[in-house]
Amino acid sequence: MRPQIRSWRQHGIVIAILGLLCLVPLLVHNPYLLHLFILSMLYAMLAASWNLINGYAGIFTFGHQAFFGLGAYGSALLAMHAGLSPWITLWFGGVVAALAGLAIGLPVLRIRSVAHVAIVTLAFAVIVQDAVSNWADFTRGTLGLASIPPFTPVTLPGFGVISFGAGDPSASYYVALVFLAASTALLIGLASGRTGLALRAIRDSESAADSLGVDPARYKLMAFVVSSFVAGIAGAYYAHYLRILTPDSAIGFSIMVTTLVITLVGGIGTTTGPLVGSFVVTFGLESLRGLGDYRLMVYGVLLVLFVIFAPRGLVQVRLFVRPRAKRPHPA
Amino acid sequence: MPIQLVVAQIVNGIIVGSMYALFASGLTLIWGTMKMLNFAHGEFFMLGGYLVFFCYAVLGINPALSTLIAVVAIFLLGVVVERVVIHHLLSHPVWQLTTIIATLGVSIFLQNLALHVWGPEFHNVPYFVEGVLNLFGIRIAYQRLLILGVSCVSIAALWFVLKYTRLGLALRATAQDADAAQLYGVNILSIYTLTFGLSAGLAALAAAMLAPITAVNPYMGLSPLLKGFVVVILGGLGSFAGAILGGILLGVVESLGVLFSSTEWSDVIAFTFLVLVIWVRPWGLFGVEERN
Repeated sequence: MRPQIRSWRQHGIVIAILGLLCLVPLLVHNPYLLHLFILSMLYAMLAASWNLINGYAGIFTFGHQAFFGLGAYGSALLAMHAGLSPWITLWFGGVVAALAGLAIGLPVLRIRSVAHVAIVTLAFAVIVQDAVSNWADFTRGTLGLASIPPFTPVTLPGFGVISFGAGDPSASYYVALVFLAASTALLIGLASGRTGLALRAIRDSESAADSLGVDPARYKLMAFVVSSFVAGIAGAYYAHYLRILTPDSAIGFSIMVTTLVITLVGGIGTTTGPLVGSFVVTFGLESLRGLGDYRLMVYGVLLVLFVIFAPRGLVQVRLFVRPRAKRPHPA
Repeated sequence: MPIQLVVAQIVNGIIVGSMYALFASGLTLIWGTMKMLNFAHGEFFMLGGYLVFFCYAVLGINPALSTLIAVVAIFLLGVVVERVVIHHLLSHPVWQLTTIIATLGVSIFLQNLALHVWGPEFHNVPYFVEGVLNLFGIRIAYQRLLILGVSCVSIAALWFVLKYTRLGLALRATAQDADAAQLYGVNILSIYTLTFGLSAGLAALAAAMLAPITAVNPYMGLSPLLKGFVVVILGGLGSFAGAILGGILLGVVESLGVLFSSTEWSDVIAFTFLVLVIWVRPWGLFGVEERN
C-alpha cells in the first residue's frame, strides 16, 4: 500500500470531478436534470461529512440526518421569524448543527462498542425529529414549513444581478458547487493533514495513539463538530433551495439510509467515494423510475447484491482478484 | 393523581414492555452470536402481523393456530434470508457495515413488496379474547393479559432452550468464542442460520400478539425496530436477561411518561432515557463493561 501516491491520485480525481461539474450547466439545460445535479451535490456534502467521522475516525454513527435537519430547520425558521437573509441564516444553521454535534459527541466519546454508538446516535436523531414534529406552534409540526424565503439576489461584478428564483436553476447550481468545493477542500484538508493522520491512528488503535501523545477526545470531538457543521450547511442550503421542509423529508431515517448507501457504494474512508457515490446513487435511483411500483424493491435487491459483490465500494473495486477463502468473519 | 391510574399505567407498561422484551430478545440473540445489527427485524414483525391478519381475520382460523402458522412461516423466511444474503457476507471485510446495508436492503425490499401487494391501508385484527378484568378499580383487557402470559411462557421456553438443550449450548458457545466452538465440532454456519430464523420467529410472535392492538400496515415495523434497539442497548447488547429487563423498564418508563406529558412525547422520553443511561453506563444497565 502506498498511501501517499494513492491519496494524490484521489485528490486529482476530486479536482477533475469538480472541474467537470463546472461545465455541466453549459451543456445541460434541462431544469430537472440540473435539479438532480444540485441534489447530488448536497448529498455529496452530507456523505463526505459523515465519512469524516465514520471512514476516518472509525466511529460508526447513525444519526447524521439530525444535523442535516437541524441546519435546514434552524436556517429556515430564523429566516422566516427574524426576516434575515438566507445568506446569513445559512451559517446559523451550520452553527446549530455543530453545537448539536458537540452535544452528542460528548456521550459518544465514552462508548467503545460500535453498535452502541450507532444506536445512541440514531436515538438522538429520533429525538430531534420527534421534537420538531411535536413542537407544532413553532415548526408547524408534521405539516412542515412552506414558502421558506429563497436566497436573495446578489450582484456580482461582471455578471450583473443574479437571482435564485424558480425557472433557471443554474445560479443555484453554481452556489451549490461552491459549497461542495469548499466543504470538500475543508474535509480533504483535515483528512490528509495532521488531523486525518491522528484520526486514523485513533481508529486503528486508540491506546497506541493515546500513548504517543495524540489526544483522542480532542480529535474525535473536532471531527464531530466539523462534520455536523458541513451537514448543517448542506441542510440549510437544501431548505432555501427547495423552500419546503417536513420533519420526515429533512430529518427522516431515509436520509441516513441514503447517506450510508452513497458512502458505501462510493467507498468508505476515501475522499472520492462520497462524491462518486452521490451521483451514482441519485441518478441510479432516478433511472429506476420507469419501474414504477417495483422501483424500491429493485433498489433493495441491488443494495444486497452490491454489498455482496463490492463491499469496499466502487472506487475500490478490484477486478480479477481471487476472493479470500471463506471464513466466518463476525466472531 | 389517583393511585389507581399510576398502578394501571405501570401494569400497562409491564405488558407493553414484555412485548418489547420478546422483540428485542431476537435482536440480542443475533448480536450475541453473529455480532451484527439486523435492520430487517421490523419487516419480519410486519410480515408476521400480515400473516396473522390473513389467517385469523380473513380466513377465520383459530388464533393459536394462526400465530403458529405466522411464527413457522417467518422462521423459514429468516432462514432463507440468512442463507441467501447474510451467508455471503461472512467472509467479507467491514462486517458490521456490510450487514447493516444488506439488512437495510432486505428491509426496503420486503416493505415495498408488502406495499405493492397489500397497499398502504391499515387492517384491523379483532381481539383474540374479549372482555375486561376489573381488579380493585384497575381495568385490564383480557387481550393484554394474554399478551403478558404468552411473552412470559415464550421467554421461559427460550431461556430453557438456551440453558438446557444441546442447541442452546452450541448457540452460547458460538456467542462466546466462535473459533473455539468450531474446534469443538459446533457447525457454526448452521448455528448462524438457526439463530437468524429463531430471531425472526420471535418477531413474528410479538407481531401476532400486538396486531389486535396496533393494526397491520406495511410501515408497522419501524417503530418496534427502533424501540428494540433501545431495549438491547439499555439492557446490554447480547445479554438475554438484559433484553427482558430493558424491555420491561422501557415499557414502564414510557407509560409513566404519558402521565406527565402528552402521548406524542413518549418516544422522546424513551430515547432521551436511553442517551442518559448510556452516558452514565456506556455498557448498558446489565451488560458487562467491555475492555479492548
